[in-house]
Amino acid sequence: MKDLAAAEKAVEMALEISSGDEADAVCMVTDRSLSRFASSVIHQNMAERAASLTIRVFERGSAGVATTSSIDKAGIEAAAALALDLARRSQPIPDFRGLHRSASRPAGNAWDEATARMTPAEKAESLRDVFERGRRDNLLFAGSFSTTSGALAAGNSHGVRQSAPLTAADISLIALGRGSASGYATAMSRRIAEIDVPALAAAASMKATMLEGKEETLEPGTWTVILEPAAITEVLDWLNNIAFSGQSFEDGSSLLVGNAGRRIMGENLTIEDDAVDPSFLPFPFDLEGLPKRKIALIEKGVARGPLTDKVAADRLGIEPTASAASLGGQERGMGLHLSMSGGDETLESLIAGTERGIWVTRFHYLNGLLDPKTALMTGMTRDGTFLIRNGSVVARLPNLRWTQSMVEAFSAIEGLTRERRIVGSYWNPLGGTRSPAVKIANWKISGRSGG
Amino acid sequence: MDFEDRILRDLVRRGVRYADIRRTVTENERVHVRNGSVESIASALERAVGVRVLVGNGWGFAADTDDSDEALKRAALRALEVAAASHIAASAPVTLSETDAVKGSWSSQWEIDPFSVPIDRKIDHLLAATEPLRGDARIHQVTGEISSYRQRKEFASTEGSRIEQTTTEMGAGIELLAISGSEVQRRTWPNPFGGDYQARGWELIDELDLAGNGPRIRDEAIGLLTAPKAPSGRFDLIIGSSQLALQVHESCGHPVELDRALGTEISLAGGSFLQPGMLGSFRYGSPLVNLTADATIPRAIGSFGWDDEGVPAQRFHLVKDGLFVNYLTGRDTAPVVRGSSNGTVRAETANRIPMIRMTNISLEPGEGTLEELIADTRHGILVDTNRAWSIDDVRLNFQFGCEIAWEIVEGKIGGMLRNPMYTGSTPDFWRSCDAVAGPGTWRVWGLPNCGKGDPMQTMRVAHGAPAARFRQVEMG
Repeated sequence: MKDLAAAEKAVEMALEISSGDEADAVCMVTDRSLSRFASSVIHQNMAERAASLTIRVFERGSAGVATTSSIDKAGIEAAAALALDLARRSQPIPDFRGLHRSASRPAGNAWDEATARMTPAEKAESLRDVFERGRRDNLLFAGSFSTTSGALAAGNSHGVRQSAPLTAADISLIALGRGSASGYATAMSRRIAEIDVPALAAAASMKATMLEGKEETLEPGTWTVILEPAAITEVLDWLNNIAFSGQSFEDGSSLLVGNAGRRIMGENLTIEDDAVDPSFLPFPFDLEGLPKRKIALIEKGVARGPLTDKVAADRLGIEPTASAASLGGQERGMGLHLSMSGGDETLESLIAGTERGIWVTRFHYLNGLLDPKTALMTGMTRDGTFLIRNGSVVARLPNLRWTQSMVEAFSAIEGLTRERRIVGSYWNPLGGTRSPAVKIANWKISGRSGG
Repeated sequence: MDFEDRILRDLVRRGVRYADIRRTVTENERVHVRNGSVESIASALERAVGVRVLVGNGWGFAADTDDSDEALKRAALRALEVAAASHIAASAPVTLSETDAVKGSWSSQWEIDPFSVPIDRKIDHLLAATEPLRGDARIHQVTGEISSYRQRKEFASTEGSRIEQTTTEMGAGIELLAISGSEVQRRTWPNPFGGDYQARGWELIDELDLAGNGPRIRDEAIGLLTAPKAPSGRFDLIIGSSQLALQVHESCGHPVELDRALGTEISLAGGSFLQPGMLGSFRYGSPLVNLTADATIPRAIGSFGWDDEGVPAQRFHLVKDGLFVNYLTGRDTAPVVRGSSNGTVRAETANRIPMIRMTNISLEPGEGTLEELIADTRHGILVDTNRAWSIDDVRLNFQFGCEIAWEIVEGKIGGMLRNPMYTGSTPDFWRSCDAVAGPGTWRVWGLPNCGKGDPMQTMRVAHGAPAARFRQVEMG
């Protein structure tokens, strides 16, 4: 817990030193180790201690922001002085009514001692078993395995103070078989004990080896697809950016603008920002120190949201949603815990009920900037794409390109699994996404790899 | 570097085959205006120290954002612990290509130090460029940004290299968002992703002429709201320098990274369709296609004196007369293709593992002007400025959206077209190149946000590109 004390001390000192009319500060201190592997060999193996303190000072409604990795007295003094200087040179933020005046201190546990204690050697031992399985199955494994421990503290000059320790364990496995066959499995949790590495290796192996030699291809057109959580997470990450963020709502490009309270997607779809569910990736407060609460973004197909920081909330004239992901960042609020509701199906029942379809493990390199009002996106499938015919998985498929409006797709959901899985994102140190596998009709396949 | 010397000597005593120590101090400043007022002014200072060791065939790396001598000592011991863990699962032979020990320093050049220019001047410059663009109800947002960057870097290795380098950069751009009903159009100048970036000072900002180009892109953004949709089908496509730079990045720069080709980046960024057996024989593009890596281009943000393994910056062909002839390599990958490192290994900061990264990857210019290229095209489409990008995990199947397009009819520019998209397969696309315009259309574009690695590292790279023509490209 020394990281917690260091983060709290840095925020306290920053607020004590900072002048100006008001100020806030956030400090994150982490210790992380990460093992990357390919061809069943650990080829990049690292450990890192890191600290980052951001101070935002307001004077006459103008803000200056300074970030430093030096959280000793001299570093904090320099950052506070710089933030004040920048604020004095800036201009008032229109309609901003000031930082939070108070905030309750929420409960919530984001810490797991076993995760914090896990060493690079223990990770390597776990991976040794994975690689051994690969030798038995004639597969090679690639991927990464990381554990992080640390703490986040946030506060402001009006007396708001929050702090919490946190841990995370995150693993991604690709099993590489013959030719271009591959399979993928991933998991993330606050608690290492909840990550079943052998089961993930088995799942990735199964995807890499099933229907070996039975390969088909298909022509572009509309298909029923079953998207696993690792695919859905990429879509949610882009929706976060182009639809749910305060910035996209303020600039008018979000599909939520003008649709508040209207049904824009299917009744069987609910998407929330949920940092309070202990079974997800709980974290108790946002970076402006406001307690987290569950926020509906799409509720049974009806448009809600957006997610805001304090500045965007004031400008939009709405209640803040405790969604500050930075102090003064361009996103103006976004979801770090996007969660899609589940249904009552299993993956097996979704497949069994599909006459003609495609089972997708994972997407690659999505882009959601084609048309934000319809959330038109394009991307590729990878690491396990399969053809379903008459309720059975019958062949491996090459990686496919798709170009699809998510407004249309999420209006055509034919089933969701009860089970939901948590997937981490490289850009998100505090959370991840959670989703079921989802069956969607009329998904537009527009090409394939190499073709 | 006395303390580094002591640490390195100690690591050698403890049995490392190789070790290096890097220190970085990275400064960033960003001024952002939105709709006539300052939206944010932010400054960041990050210090870091990193130690990389090779013990037997196991790599270990440890880093800290505390760059004190005590933290460096701790990091060195931790790197040994991590390297030991690398051996537990399995190991493969590691061979480092030879490189000379270097004692030297390097700095990029600028006329007016970005950090010496008062914030007020940066704000005034952005407001003067963006404020006149407001007023039309269809313009929902006008933003502008000026960013300044400096990184000081030290490198010391057990082979005797001691290097100090400083890179200073600036970037700037403006962006308009026009909305009418469900139609959203975005126009940027000079480039998306915050503008253009060069290893220069304030003199770059004056040259970019944000204010002079604002009214044109405003009119284009408004015009695009009602312009006809770009058609679907196969068309002769002329791609402007800005968009072609990103095409080079995605479909050449990434697949020629040898670590990708060898599968070591496959878990996140993916692999490469360009496999070592194809070196020297694979027809990547038409004979007009010459692609180079050049880390020595003055003022380009992918330039440096030595890479983060102490290997000198170099210029070499990746694709020569259409043939695939070289990879980007590092010291532990080059031996796989029986070569020496060509000096492309870099890390974002000292607390990240150095890996193969693009430098300045460029399509070399051909002949003629853009006007001559258009006049030589009977019926086609001209596209420019990226709007959306996507490419598969081996860099074959790509799809790009652009901000703007124009129809070409009988060798003349016709009307504007909205939402152009084109798609293809990398070698088919480059083999269809039948004209590359001359140096007058060639420009180096700075791209400060190339993502790779885990933890993700954002690298500063650049691409020179002229305008060029590609026959019968799939659009829509």
